Amino acid sequence: MSEAILEAHAVRKEFGGLVAVSDIDFDVPRGGIVSLIGPNGAGKTTFFNMLTGAYTPTSGQVTFDGREIIGLPAHAITQLGVGRTFQNIRLFQTMSSVENVLVGMHCRMKGGIFGSILRTPRVRREERQAHDRALELLRYCGLHQRVDEEYAMNLSYGDQRRLEVARALGTDPKLLLLDEPTAGMNPQESADFTAFVGRLREELKLSVLMIEHDMKVVMGVSDRVTVLDRGEKIAEGAPAEIQRNERVIEAYLGSGAAGQAGAAS
Amino acid sequence: MTATARTRGPVLAVLPMIQRQARRIASSILLGGLALVLLENLVRSPGQFVSVLLLGITLGSIYALVAIGYTLVYGIIELINFAHGDVFMWGTMVTVTLSAHWIGLDGSQAWYVTVPLVAGTLLAAMAFCGTMNVTIERFAYRPLRNAPKLAPLITAIGMSFILQNLALAIYGPREQSANNIFPTNVLFDVGGIPYRAKSLLVVLISIPVLAALVYLVRSTRQGKAMRAVAQDNDAARMMGIDVDRTIAFTFLLAGALAGAGGLMFVMFQTSTRYDLGFQLGLFAFTAAVLGGIGNLTGAWLGAMTIGLIQAFNEGLEHHVPGSSWTQSVIFAILILVLVFRPQGILGEPESDRA
Amino acid sequence: MTARLADLWYQLPWAVRRVVVPAIAVAALVLYPKYMSNLPSQFPEMSTAVVMCVFIVMALGLNVVVGYAGLLDLGYVAFYAAGAYVAGWFATLQFAPHVHHLWAVGVPSDLPGVHVNVWLLMLAVGAAFAALLGVIIGLPTLRLRGDYLAIVTLGFGEIIPQAVNNGDNWFGHNVTNGPNGLTPIDQLGFGSAIHNTFGFLPENYRREFDVNNYYYWTGLFLIAVTLFCCIRLRDSRLGRAWVAIREDEIAAAAMGIPLMRTKTLAYAIGAFFGGVAGCFFAIYKSSTFPQDFTLNISIFVLCMVILGGMGNVWGVMLGGAVLAYLNYQGLNSIGRTFNDTFGTSISVPTYSFGIFGTVIVIMMLVRPQGLIPSRRRRAEFAAAEEGVSVGKAVMEE
Repeated sequence: MSEAILEAHAVRKEFGGLVAVSDIDFDVPRGGIVSLIGPNGAGKTTFFNMLTGAYTPTSGQVTFDGREIIGLPAHAITQLGVGRTFQNIRLFQTMSSVENVLVGMHCRMKGGIFGSILRTPRVRREERQAHDRALELLRYCGLHQRVDEEYAMNLSYGDQRRLEVARALGTDPKLLLLDEPTAGMNPQESADFTAFVGRLREELKLSVLMIEHDMKVVMGVSDRVTVLDRGEKIAEGAPAEIQRNERVIEAYLGSGAAGQAGAAS
Repeated sequence: MTATARTRGPVLAVLPMIQRQARRIASSILLGGLALVLLENLVRSPGQFVSVLLLGITLGSIYALVAIGYTLVYGIIELINFAHGDVFMWGTMVTVTLSAHWIGLDGSQAWYVTVPLVAGTLLAAMAFCGTMNVTIERFAYRPLRNAPKLAPLITAIGMSFILQNLALAIYGPREQSANNIFPTNVLFDVGGIPYRAKSLLVVLISIPVLAALVYLVRSTRQGKAMRAVAQDNDAARMMGIDVDRTIAFTFLLAGALAGAGGLMFVMFQTSTRYDLGFQLGLFAFTAAVLGGIGNLTGAWLGAMTIGLIQAFNEGLEHHVPGSSWTQSVIFAILILVLVFRPQGILGEPESDRA
Repeated sequence: MTARLADLWYQLPWAVRRVVVPAIAVAALVLYPKYMSNLPSQFPEMSTAVVMCVFIVMALGLNVVVGYAGLLDLGYVAFYAAGAYVAGWFATLQFAPHVHHLWAVGVPSDLPGVHVNVWLLMLAVGAAFAALLGVIIGLPTLRLRGDYLAIVTLGFGEIIPQAVNNGDNWFGHNVTNGPNGLTPIDQLGFGSAIHNTFGFLPENYRREFDVNNYYYWTGLFLIAVTLFCCIRLRDSRLGRAWVAIREDEIAAAAMGIPLMRTKTLAYAIGAFFGGVAGCFFAIYKSSTFPQDFTLNISIFVLCMVILGGMGNVWGVMLGGAVLAYLNYQGLNSIGRTFNDTFGTSISVPTYSFGIFGTVIVIMMLVRPQGLIPSRRRRAEFAAAEEGVSVGKAVMEE
């Protein structure tokens, strides 16, 4: 059992002539919470997409839980234990909250064609248990009972974000990838979410990798922060170090700001 | 960790490469086989081969005019306009009505009478079909521009039925014929089969049409507007381009081309029928896809290929499936292209990033 | 008076209401042959009713592909043809002088050719063959996006009738008997053994006086089976996966749904029911010809699904019933009435597809969600009207 649940080595992604991600080495320790930050266009979501199988790297290796996952289709990677949320919410709009979570649980259920048509006792039991578990997950993620049967498209923004997490938890992941989970949240909601991520690690024993822009959230819960800029890793370390790192400040605020920020902190 | 887990990873990484190699080998075998068949025919009956080749080029030129229409419309609103072939059919009907029924051209008039009248018929056919196309877009497709893709597709099928039935109602189920109006003088003989001037004329007309179009799309303002709308509807609108008018113009253009194609067809084949459009339209669509949908030169190239394939299939003697299989051959090509190379001959492969 | 009846109705227990209306509807349908002759002539004749059953089963099958999984299929006729030709191969004289009988009912046991029990053919073999064809067609093509998939299926829908028509000479073998078709095909029946025990079950449908009635009842049975399967699948794990794929493939894959496998299953199941319908119809007509399988039929069934209400089994059944009725009987009587009223002599059925096309265009402009849309479809269209796009197909950076 290696230390890291996810290991990426020399991962590179080129789109035609454009290098979006340039030879990155990266890992997520088991049970760790890692944040991936960087200015817009740094390649964070591209990197995420390679970890989940949506994109295939131009070169490099990625191992999850000891298995090479490059070339595997997205659903296979999810089955191995990688769950994710999306930057722009991609819920199933005409499905209720419960149904969305049930879809998340698809790969952990077994009901097939004949079982479904005949509604064998086994399938009935599986559906009932799945339904109960879906409700559990919805409660755990902070969704109120009244939205259980509501279409996802009618949910409030905050609820939709929570539902995305609940759905990802439905896939029974070992590693949870969160893509800008607090975008659009107010400070109170962000604080609640920061605590929630801690609980995911403590109570569900998950490892978490987040892309985040909100520094309070990043600093509040991460064990480690990795900074990308223009497809390259420019810094990595504990949150406090990163905050003071000159290259990081430069990347976000432009050169010259480093001196001022250094003087101010 | 089991051995299978360890070995599966690298195997899966290599799988796309194996697939690509297999694809390359398969297409080489296919093309090689094709080349062999052609070679055999060329060697064993060269006269027939050349005359069939020339026929294919003529057919291809006619298909090109229709294929370009398909590709223009698909390029700009991503709609497969099933009714386009029937607009082409209406072009043929208009041509027959004007030239044969009303004017009475039958090849007996002198060239200085025939040429302007044919030119007039050409303009009339183009205007009619262009207007028809624009009207269809305005009333049947535009309201559905934001609807899920299925709706305009089904509407296009419905329009196709309507256009066909209208022709059936007006012209009846039998063939409509127009006598030879294009000069039928024989230019030369190939293996006993005459090559007539009209065949050459069809080809000669289609080339400047294509050139004019390429110029229009590449260099004029309208053309730039068309390309902008094709790439990003909303951005084009924000840049001040009248999207509705640009799309209407595209339909006008496509319709006019179909009308011209209709005239060519009648001039060459001398007859038409109300149900000609759908299948011919599908052949032209296959051509557009083969060449790379959205690409003008590709449409022309694809049309030439399809024309040649049809002519070869129906005209050659040795080891070809024969005319009862033409439909299947062409649609098989359509399927193979879409499955193995959806961007066509000249298109760019769709990148990961949509 | 009606207000008091309505009050009485709502006072009945829910369980009664839930059972009574469907029970009455089912009874009305089952007993239809008995009272049909008392109805005005516009009502479907028994032969039309059988055809309606066939198309309703097909519409339900295509609904799984287009309505549930959201896959555009313009070549559904291929599966219909597959089922029909299975009947043609395994219940006719086609393969004489071989003589193989397998639980055949109602045919003399020395009849040449292969004769498999027609019930088995209809419910299993024909359907399975069609499903297999669905898998074969689906595997290379289902990863294509929406309109390309439509065109590819259209291609298959055009190739297969032509291949079947040329089938009297596939590399020297007569497989489908080409344009002459396969006929006669064995009839449905229960055989002498069962007939002697249960008198009301005919030994061989053809021998009955009102043969159409028996086919009609069999058709109703097929509809019931198909409907049952569709509803069960819709509300199952697979059904949810289909909705997910239809809405957002990328998100669905990210949730662990195997895209190709799930889509292919939809295709195969849709094909299965197409095969059932094709086999049944071929047996009913006792023949099958290549001309029966045109692209127009694929489009016809597609329109039943779309105009009826994609994804909603009741809407789709209504669409199937209405369109099949119109095409096989309705247009004729409407034409006659029209001509009688206005003194014209237009042959309305000649223009059936033009009328049909007009209906399609008007429906798409006025009510694109169909007559009885599914819950989800209604929500989708409501959202679209407000400008909220449902489902994404683009990966954002």
